[in-house]
Amino acid sequence: MSQKIEKKAAAKKTLLKMYKQRHLYALLLPSLLVVFFFNYCPMPGIVMAFQDFSIFRGLWGSEWVGLDNVRKIFSQSEFTTAIWNTLKVSMLDLLISFPAPIILALLINEIKNVKFKKFVQTASYLPHFLSWMAVIGMVQVIFGSQGLFNDIRLFFGATDRITPLAEQKNFIWFLSLLTLWKGVGWGTIVHLAGLAGINPELYEAAEVDGAKHLQKMWYITLPHMLPTCVILLIFRMGSVFGSNFQLVYGLQNPFIDFETISTIVYKTGIQNGNYSMASAIGFTEGIVSLILVVVTNWVAKKITGSGIW
Amino acid sequence: MRKESFSRKVFLFFNTLFMICLVVIMVAPYLNIIAKAFNDGKDTAMGGITIFPRVFTLDNFKTLLSDKALPRAAVVSVARVICDVVLTLFVQFSAAYVFTHKDLVGRSGLLMFFMIPAYFGGGLIPRYILYSNTGLLNNFLLYFVPGCFSLYNMIIIRTFINSLPDSLPEAAKLDGASEMQILMKVIMPLSKPIMATIALWTAVGSWSDWTTTMYFFTDKKMYTLQYVLVQILKESQKIQAMISEAALRGEFIDEANIAVTSEAVKSAMILVTTLPIVMVYPFLQKYFIKGVTVGAVKD
Repeated sequence: MSQKIEKKAAAKKTLLKMYKQRHLYALLLPSLLVVFFFNYCPMPGIVMAFQDFSIFRGLWGSEWVGLDNVRKIFSQSEFTTAIWNTLKVSMLDLLISFPAPIILALLINEIKNVKFKKFVQTASYLPHFLSWMAVIGMVQVIFGSQGLFNDIRLFFGATDRITPLAEQKNFIWFLSLLTLWKGVGWGTIVHLAGLAGINPELYEAAEVDGAKHLQKMWYITLPHMLPTCVILLIFRMGSVFGSNFQLVYGLQNPFIDFETISTIVYKTGIQNGNYSMASAIGFTEGIVSLILVVVTNWVAKKITGSGIW
Repeated sequence: MRKESFSRKVFLFFNTLFMICLVVIMVAPYLNIIAKAFNDGKDTAMGGITIFPRVFTLDNFKTLLSDKALPRAAVVSVARVICDVVLTLFVQFSAAYVFTHKDLVGRSGLLMFFMIPAYFGGGLIPRYILYSNTGLLNNFLLYFVPGCFSLYNMIIIRTFINSLPDSLPEAAKLDGASEMQILMKVIMPLSKPIMATIALWTAVGSWSDWTTTMYFFTDKKMYTLQYVLVQILKESQKIQAMISEAALRGEFIDEANIAVTSEAVKSAMILVTTLPIVMVYPFLQKYFIKGVTVGAVKD
């Protein structure tokens, strides 16, 4: 009996508190509405991945086909090639664009002249502030037949003007080198902030013990950078199957046959109107990415003790 | 100070050399584009433009402006950036401020509500269907409403507000200020640095975005500058391919006869779409950077 009354009193107290906080809820309302409509409302649409979706019959009227669409993804070569291409691009990024900012941050950290350091940093941020489309435009101009690239080749004795953008074998290298160029400078910020936070006494103590420069780096600097790197790596793993749509789509031209998951979703879904197939690919990618993040996080926690949750 | 060893000196020398090369690689391509944008189109086509124009002209920009679509696209671009910045600041600051209240009833549930979409979403196609069903395609609202809440930015703002002294909002509360008044009159004026960060990030993202236009807009009147650039570039890729294919067949197409956008005009367009940001970022970079470092703090 008394428990019931207590419960009632507690509930009343909570309600009263909520009433007192009504202004706070009002302030939260815009974000709640926006996230609900633009993030949650599309979620049920995922079921069309398991349907033979027709826009006229809608989500309720379309025929269910189970996992047929998912099976199709793995049996049709255009899709398996796109998945394979995406993986190749991601692996290259992981090997080149991921470690590059770490190394660059270490090198920038060695610059003694403050003004020169600032100048190098500012210059290295420039590509970050150019939109992907502008970068692609620049590449077209510079690697075009009348561009700087050919001028330099001619200067060094070549006799013909070539168009490397129209060569299939160069495409993937353009993708990864542009990713590197655009992101490497900006990527150093988070590492440099970490480096600035290392207690200088550690270095002094190591110096007293006779540590060489490389030893200090190996035993003090790198262990301090590790947690940040691990977190960045976990986030990176989540997008192994999510290629950079803007870059790939922008760089594609009639001479290139190179699709990744994101470009094929756009082309299958929005350009060709095959909504079911496109969402099936998107859905499979989402699930795999989620699993990858969870697994990487688990492994990282086991090995280094730091993770994102 | 200990005398630096020989190997260290060698390292520092090569490090400086490397940094100079790095600066050249980062900046030279853009300087080359600037030079071409101000260089005569026919002269550019001969190649050999470095970072200085050879035959100075403003004709490339005149060519761009002669197309009525461009000024219109510029207006759309500026308008969406302004709307995006204003709405984003308002929505994210309100949410961040609310979440600084540790005693908010249902706080963790609400946080969860905002966190789920960060890890799981419907994807492009369901979004497209939703917009199409609700008649939002080609609607200007799509440029700034869907993205106005971001969990990452909200957490950055909350971290910042949490670092402010508690006494000020409390004093305002005692004076009878409402939560809205506290947010607008106390919190926001104190949060100018982080406001600048979020505003600048949003502005750059909004200005550079072109996929929204490509996915959800077919109405030419709603095109942004970035998307006009996309069209120019895609068009010129197609024409280049046509010319090369014709050449393979042994035919010759005179480039002058088809409406090919010259490299010089292309460069001018790239300059127009990037210069507003490139001109300001060196002076505002501390604000851009602030968010990156604050964001590294976990809660």
